Amino acid sequence: MNPKAVYKYCKHLGCCEACCLRYIGIKNPDSYEHVDSFVTIYQDEADKPKQTFEQNEDLENGNDNSLKPEVIDKNVTNGDSDDLTNLPPCKKRRIDVCISCLGVLQEDKRFDSFSMVKNVLAKKKYECATFACALSAPMATLLRERAITLRLAEEFPGYDDKTLTALKEAWKWSFGVQLAAQINKTLDSGAVSPLLVTLNYDYADDMQELEILKQVSPQLFEERSKQKRRFVTEFTRRSVEQALATASLAALQAAGGGLPTASVRALCVGMVCAHAPMYLAGRYIKLSRNLPQSPWILDKKRVLPSSVQEIIYKPLADFYNMDEEEADRRLKLIAAGREDVDVRCLGEGRPFAVEITDPTRQLTADELAKACQLISESKEVIVKQIVPITREDLVQLKKGEETKSKTYEALCIKLSHSQFDDVSPDSPVKVTPEDIARINSFRNTPQNSQNSLNNKSNDHNDSNGDTSDEENNANTLDANGDSLNASPDSKTTKTDIQNTSEENQMAKNSSDAKDIDATPEKNYVQVAEAMDTSLNSEKCDNLSDVKIVIEQKTPIRVLHRRPLLTRTRQILELEAEAVPEHAQLFRLRARTSAGTYVKEWAHGELRRSRPALRDVLRARVDLLALDVSAVHLAWPPPPPPPV
Amino acid sequence: MEYNILDSIDLNDPAIYKSFTDRYFSKRYILNVNGIENNDIMLMFHSNRITLLCLAPSHFFFKKKDKYTLNFNIGKIDRLSNKVKGKGKKGGQALFPDSVICKVEWSDGSSFGIPCGMRGTLVEINENLIKNPELLQEMPDSDGFIAIMLSSIAITDATKNKLLTHEDYMKVVNV
Ligand SMILES: [Zn+2]
Repeated sequence: MNPKAVYKYCKHLGCCEACCLRYIGIKNPDSYEHVDSFVTIYQDEADKPKQTFEQNEDLENGNDNSLKPEVIDKNVTNGDSDDLTNLPPCKKRRIDVCISCLGVLQEDKRFDSFSMVKNVLAKKKYECATFACALSAPMATLLRERAITLRLAEEFPGYDDKTLTALKEAWKWSFGVQLAAQINKTLDSGAVSPLLVTLNYDYADDMQELEILKQVSPQLFEERSKQKRRFVTEFTRRSVEQALATASLAALQAAGGGLPTASVRALCVGMVCAHAPMYLAGRYIKLSRNLPQSPWILDKKRVLPSSVQEIIYKPLADFYNMDEEEADRRLKLIAAGREDVDVRCLGEGRPFAVEITDPTRQLTADELAKACQLISESKEVIVKQIVPITREDLVQLKKGEETKSKTYEALCIKLSHSQFDDVSPDSPVKVTPEDIARINSFRNTPQNSQNSLNNKSNDHNDSNGDTSDEENNANTLDANGDSLNASPDSKTTKTDIQNTSEENQMAKNSSDAKDIDATPEKNYVQVAEAMDTSLNSEKCDNLSDVKIVIEQKTPIRVLHRRPLLTRTRQILELEAEAVPEHAQLFRLRARTSAGTYVKEWAHGELRRSRPALRDVLRARVDLLALDVSAVHLAWPPPPPPPV
Repeated sequence: MEYNILDSIDLNDPAIYKSFTDRYFSKRYILNVNGIENNDIMLMFHSNRITLLCLAPSHFFFKKKDKYTLNFNIGKIDRLSNKVKGKGKKGGQALFPDSVICKVEWSDGSSFGIPCGMRGTLVEINENLIKNPELLQEMPDSDGFIAIMLSSIAITDATKNKLLTHEDYMKVVNV
């Protein structure tokens, strides 16, 4: 392939200088920045005084008919498809819109686009020193590129259409570089710079020119129009590319050629500046029993005046000068699960992140500290620290939601005598020391030997010497039949424990279940899914010492919006304590696997959750108040080590 | 202790001691279903429109102390084979007010059917009744519920509005 010949051919078709370079396959950015001086190496002496008139003249009077696609096309289609070729020559000569890029690469008239970008940037005030730029070009350029490469392949055997330098690349190298000087930012690739400037070019004849694709690929578009009778968006970038992928030159020419002279140029009609999201991380403590995590709105009316989300958003939105509506649109709270409205979250708090869409800048450490102070002044939510994190860090949050255990404190009430109580039915119901002991020693899983020697270690110890103890326990049990005899507490744990090996099996299977607390958010779910394989293997990491395996049907309170399923969950630690001044009450500390419905476990929910706390006590039990005392997840992630 | 859980609620507020069903459900009654005296059922509506089917305390069932078994095979339909899929509870058996969910069959050969009282989808049969049929007798308004049903908001609201409230029921049965 002779580049000079390709240049000459493209030039004759009506390509601008930059497009000629594209078809030659030039991929050097500098060449597009200084097109006019660079192209001279491909020009014959005769071409050098480049004037539009002469070039068009050339096309008009050339002896080689194959260089005149419009003439050929006209013959094939009986002259009814392309009226532009019938215009008087003088009119046509004035038009020098590039036949391929439709003017996108032609350097005149760029000033308007530059000032458009400048205005938007002046208003938004991004602090980012770099930018990337992207082009949204008319779809007709795709058709035209195909029409030209097919002709090139015919003219120059062996011409590969992969030679073509993409329009958006060539545009970036010329327009982007010039824009950089105008807006005083450094041009960088989209993979590096978080600030993206997208320019949209519109071409008046775009849809009309694409019509010929219906002849080229009748099947494709017939199907499309059938599918979308109501919304006639037949020509999408995808469908156009699909139709062009298989189009032959003959088919294109039969349909009209796909390369009419452009009577108007594509114009930059709009631009979008957007900064990639930024993420902040922290932990929130929720002190109110009357505060939902996100706004609680029922039938368009607020049920409760505020929410954790709104309290956290407020100072952040103020720093970014967002009003409430804008904050709701541009901020997103991503939390490691959520607690019910009436549940407090104490201790170190619940891990969360805030995604900021299109941020203009990163908040300073001082501002973040101030935000914490303002949030905590609400008296309902306390956040001690907020730090910037990366999008990748969100995976930890998602993972934590699914794998990490939570510790709860509950205030419970014993409502009836226990079947174990040996008292008169008329005597007042009291929590007995036996009740407390029964709760503390209850388990329906086999106890491994290490822990049965020292039962206390349950309370503090997550780890076991033997990492594969689940498997071992199941085997031991099959041989033993009754694991309780091995337990020093068998006296007090006489409960309905059968099929323990089966339950143990279920405990393992439960690692497939999804956390009920999950409130998926698009962006971070995508990140998390990418990591999902690594996640599965870790799901049971700290669940190796399970005291109680329970099965919970989807609670009635969420059954209207969730599938009916029976989920297996684990209680890893359980400790009860009497409340001296209230004989019927007792405190409970429980560490549970992610997704355990603690309230339902306590009262049993009409026996839909089993074995429940009341099955342990053999008495009617209810839960009066619940606090999350720890979400066991290291968060926020430590800052990356300095490079 | 910081943020003591004991101080976080008002222990003198009687509302916190309400039973699970009283806390979340409002009770409605249908009396003398199919013209049979004291064939009384109770529907418990959760605020999220999930509905529990129960026998009303005034049902004649509670007067008879004979042994009984529960039969969930209603004609050609086996209520126990009910399965629902997904959030939409697809595949659940369709219910009409007269649809019988369960038949109580006494040892003396007599029996009666428990109709569901509303249009909707059968979500769940109380599986505990199979092993422990005595729950129906002993805890009719809680663990002895018969079934969980779900209907549209419109049907649920309409049914709820036209049925006897708990207050009115108490007046009627006390007469
Ligand atoms: Zn061009």
